[in-house]
Amino acid sequence: MYKMSVRLLTLRALRGAPGLCRRTPAVTGGFRAAYSAATRDQRSVITESTDEYKFVERLIPPTRIPDPPKHVGVAPSGWIPPAESPPPLPYMIRRSRMHNIPVYSDLTHGNRRLTLVRKVEGDIWALEKDVREYLRQVTGKELPTQVNEVTMTLKVKGHFEQELKDWLASKGF
Amino acid sequence: MLRFSCLVFSRGAARRFASSFSSETALPPNLRLPSNLVDPDRLRRPPPPEDSSLPLIRKCDAALPAHLRPVRTWVDTLESKDSEPLGLTELHPDVFAVTPRLDILHAVETWQRNYKRISHANTKVRSEVRGGGRKPWNQKGSGRARHGSIRSPLWRGGGVSHGPRGPKSYYYMLPMKVRVQGLKVALSSKMAQQYLHVVDSLNIPTPDSQYLLELIKSRHWGESVLLVDVSEEFPENILQATENLKTVNLIPAIGLNVHSMLKHEAVILTLDTVRFLEEKLLWHDERYTFLYPLKLPYSDFP
Repeated sequence: MYKMSVRLLTLRALRGAPGLCRRTPAVTGGFRAAYSAATRDQRSVITESTDEYKFVERLIPPTRIPDPPKHVGVAPSGWIPPAESPPPLPYMIRRSRMHNIPVYSDLTHGNRRLTLVRKVEGDIWALEKDVREYLRQVTGKELPTQVNEVTMTLKVKGHFEQELKDWLASKGF
Repeated sequence: MLRFSCLVFSRGAARRFASSFSSETALPPNLRLPSNLVDPDRLRRPPPPEDSSLPLIRKCDAALPAHLRPVRTWVDTLESKDSEPLGLTELHPDVFAVTPRLDILHAVETWQRNYKRISHANTKVRSEVRGGGRKPWNQKGSGRARHGSIRSPLWRGGGVSHGPRGPKSYYYMLPMKVRVQGLKVALSSKMAQQYLHVVDSLNIPTPDSQYLLELIKSRHWGESVLLVDVSEEFPENILQATENLKTVNLIPAIGLNVHSMLKHEAVILTLDTVRFLEEKLLWHDERYTFLYPLKLPYSDFP
């Protein structure tokens, strides 16, 4: 915890600076004497309080990502919460740490379009079969896919991020 | 990892099950395996059954994903040599049952070896070798090959043209999440190979090294054992017992690393260590990207 140190600026510090006191020497002398007496009294009543630190504390950010609030159905932003219980399929697709569906599109060499499905657990080949089937219904084409069993990811040729996200959300992942 | 792959295919098992295997998975007939490759006694204790009568000492603190079940293990004690397990404990699957990513283990292990390395190999270049400023003989007329200095790399005693140059650092950092995943994979692999044991605490009755060795032998933990506790102060008895032992080592939980886990055959965690590891390793799964270094204050860290 950081302690608040309260520093009182006294006129004593400013006394040495020229040009700040523009009064005549006699008046400044009397003024200085009176003022130093006042500050001496003030300084004997220094209070140090850490109550105001709560205004700093509430600005310090947390490290943990909070759980999203409960929405029934689709949220106003378009975010679809995961189902209460995982769907009874041989595979499972976890949500990212920001509670989104881990489907990402990629564009390399200016013309190579890929869609990547990450964070797959379970039977990834069953997921690949279902994805191919679904995309065949959507596009009418047989799309090449690549399964990486080590990293448990699935790549599909083409940009199908939104379609796959909607499909997985409808399944309840 | 050869042990892992040969877990079922040890010579004894191969003799029993050779007939049921297809020709691709059976061992070749001219393969020689040492007879002590897999200690069959170690595999004698199966994981705790669902209906075990022992009490569940510890449940997972963190929330479990809905589709995963916690891993259950026995909780032993070091107090006496032939004591029964004290109870069961649940371990979080996202720390102790992750996918066995050998590539991540390899990456973290090589990083641990190399990031501290500074190689001091240094050779002198032709300009640094003493001498060789003057042209040894005239360009033309002497009948010998033309040379400009006696310290060029062509000459004996000359400089090295492309040698190692000075202290070189092999420092690099793997991303924090990769290192964390490496720890999780190492713990999960030890768990899966039954090399991970949970103990209630590291209190032993005598400061005798022989007692520890006999205990490890009787429980078939393995050749080398790594004992992990949360605090940096260990009980006196265990400190004295492990002082002169090369294969049994103590480490605090903050010092747990992939290299040590791979170097030692068995890893023994206390219940407090399990709680500490779960809390620290699972935090990385649900944290924001850091806005500023961790040395500056955050509201819920440490």
